[in-house]
Amino acid sequence: MLKLDISIPKEGRQRVWWIWIGVLGLLLAVGLFGAIRVLVKGLQVTGLSDQVPWGLWITQDLSSIATGAGAFTFSAIVYLFRIKKYRPIARAAVFVGFLGYSSAMLSLAMDIGRPDRFWHPLVFWNVHSVLWEITWCVILYSTVLILEFLPILFENSYFDRWPKLRVYGGMIHKAAPIFAGIGLGLSLLHQSSLGATYGVLSGRAIWYKPSLPVMFILSAVAGGISMTLLLTVLVSKLTGRQIITEELRSDISRLAGFALLAYLYLKLWDWAATSYYSHSPGATQALALLQTTTPYTRTFWWIEIVIGGILPALILFTDRFRKNDRYLLFALAAIVVGVTVNRWNVTLSGLVAPPHWSPGVLGRIISAPYLPTWNEIIVSLGIIAYALLTFSFGVRYLPIFPRKDEPSH
Amino acid sequence: MIFKKKRPAKQKPAGKKPLVSRKEFLGIAGATGAAALVTQLITTGPLSPEAIKGIGERTHGAEDGKSKHKWSMAIDLSSCIGCQYCVWTCQATNDVPDDDMRWNIGFPEKTETGSDFFMTRPCLHCEEAPCVKVCPVGATWIRADGIVAMDYNRCIGCRYCEVACPYDVRRFNWKPSTAKNNYQPTWGSPEIERRARGVVEKCTFCNQRIDRGIEFGLTPGIDREATPACVNICPVNARVFGDLNDPESPISIFLAENDTFRLREDFGTEPKVHYVRPEKENA
Repeated sequence: MLKLDISIPKEGRQRVWWIWIGVLGLLLAVGLFGAIRVLVKGLQVTGLSDQVPWGLWITQDLSSIATGAGAFTFSAIVYLFRIKKYRPIARAAVFVGFLGYSSAMLSLAMDIGRPDRFWHPLVFWNVHSVLWEITWCVILYSTVLILEFLPILFENSYFDRWPKLRVYGGMIHKAAPIFAGIGLGLSLLHQSSLGATYGVLSGRAIWYKPSLPVMFILSAVAGGISMTLLLTVLVSKLTGRQIITEELRSDISRLAGFALLAYLYLKLWDWAATSYYSHSPGATQALALLQTTTPYTRTFWWIEIVIGGILPALILFTDRFRKNDRYLLFALAAIVVGVTVNRWNVTLSGLVAPPHWSPGVLGRIISAPYLPTWNEIIVSLGIIAYALLTFSFGVRYLPIFPRKDEPSH
Repeated sequence: MIFKKKRPAKQKPAGKKPLVSRKEFLGIAGATGAAALVTQLITTGPLSPEAIKGIGERTHGAEDGKSKHKWSMAIDLSSCIGCQYCVWTCQATNDVPDDDMRWNIGFPEKTETGSDFFMTRPCLHCEEAPCVKVCPVGATWIRADGIVAMDYNRCIGCRYCEVACPYDVRRFNWKPSTAKNNYQPTWGSPEIERRARGVVEKCTFCNQRIDRGIEFGLTPGIDREATPACVNICPVNARVFGDLNDPESPISIFLAENDTFRLREDFGTEPKVHYVRPEKENA
């Protein structure tokens, strides 16, 4: 079967909508409870420790930013390189990007020990820190995303009462190429630096490599394009209206495929150079420890490489599979899952298998365990619920997707 | 009763506007409150120039930001008897009641040839400290005299320094530190304030003792009042402290006379804590 028919019948739509909103609202409320509990009790309610100080929330932060990378990619393609055919998906990409970055900031606000000092990186500079650079880039780029999104927001009928706003919105929209340029620069910087966060640490052999920043940006481009298209296709299928043409859908899928191939190529050589053709005692020791105490090796090969890499690449580059709704949705979701699992694996691998520094031998076989607590999980689910809720309302009340070829109701 | 009396007043005659409507009142009250809050924040609160300047200042163990000293420590694993006094006195002196938060840790170890020894590890105060490089707010820095210092008022608790440190030196305040310190007064009295929830802390080479000692003309490493507590208490003198820039300092003499190594030199962190192997060759 080529076409997937999951469109919700018109008469039942209102009910399905309210159930969906209700479930998300409930998740959001539970997440809010979790967030308040974290603020009141501090980070002792997490499963984190001094040996594994980063976990689920940092993974969520990294994944949200990675899957929000569609915004800078499509903004650059459409407004900077002026490849007009991708224009119908540019707004969705900006919206998804905004949701990704705001989710990331929410999870970071939960993760830092002193959220009341969130402004410190702006006032107290340490230019030698990649995290300082990331903080600046993320704040600036979020501002760009908000500016890019404002004109879309102003088109809602609620803003009829302030016609001036639309004039400003139009002015912002005219400056789209400038924002696209700034956004491209900022994104290339911080998407890579997020990999460098781990890549520059000489004390942890499994992380210490120059390939990490590049793998982070390539996987972010693949994941960002996939997330944007995945949501677009899903909305199109659920509402039963064609949002983008078959041809554009096919082109964007191939674009995601090319980014994925570039990522896989680098990943292949990263693995070959560090683990196959050479021997680094630190990395070998850490990998052996991970293999015996965690599912790292299995999740790396099966989820990151096979399910999140090779399989989607095959689907996206085979005409017959790419044009099949089910296969396409699977491939896009698999890429997003692969990138997310990658961020988890990268973060946890260096921490769970700590470097051995004692001149003795007893500590060599000890790994540091980490499992997120229920409090961490409900906060994470709450943040995902926030993103999905905002996305749903955006799709319903804002002109995120072009409507001109929409069949009349 | 009061409600009953008030109620009729609410029913305003139609068409007659009150002096200030409820909406306006709420707006004015809200704006006044917000203005007061902002004013408080930027005049005497945490965003005031003084507060920010206070966080912005860094100590260097010297007034002009330069120092003629370079503090360093040596630990002789071959003479250590594993009494753990150094661990406990550190907890008392720096007021660390929680055993999981020890700045100076000690544990039983085994050499490759199978003989037992006791391993202890303070902060190594690396010259190329990864924790200092990664801090996004510069809350930790290398003082001119070589000590890796921390500003607990500037730290945002992101824990990147913990991730970066390969020696497991740093400790995060996961919960408020309210427990009674059972190591006091037996092993010493607290010399510094406890740290707040949500910030990272670490061994400071007891810089409070060093800085105060120098003010009084003492020599850290020789005069006990100016020397780290862990060095003072060791019953077998397994820890040696002093100034690398002074050839007469105990540390300089010790390093010249002993064969020492540093932990994982391959990390390129250039630690300032030196060790003597647990088993001496030809022993």
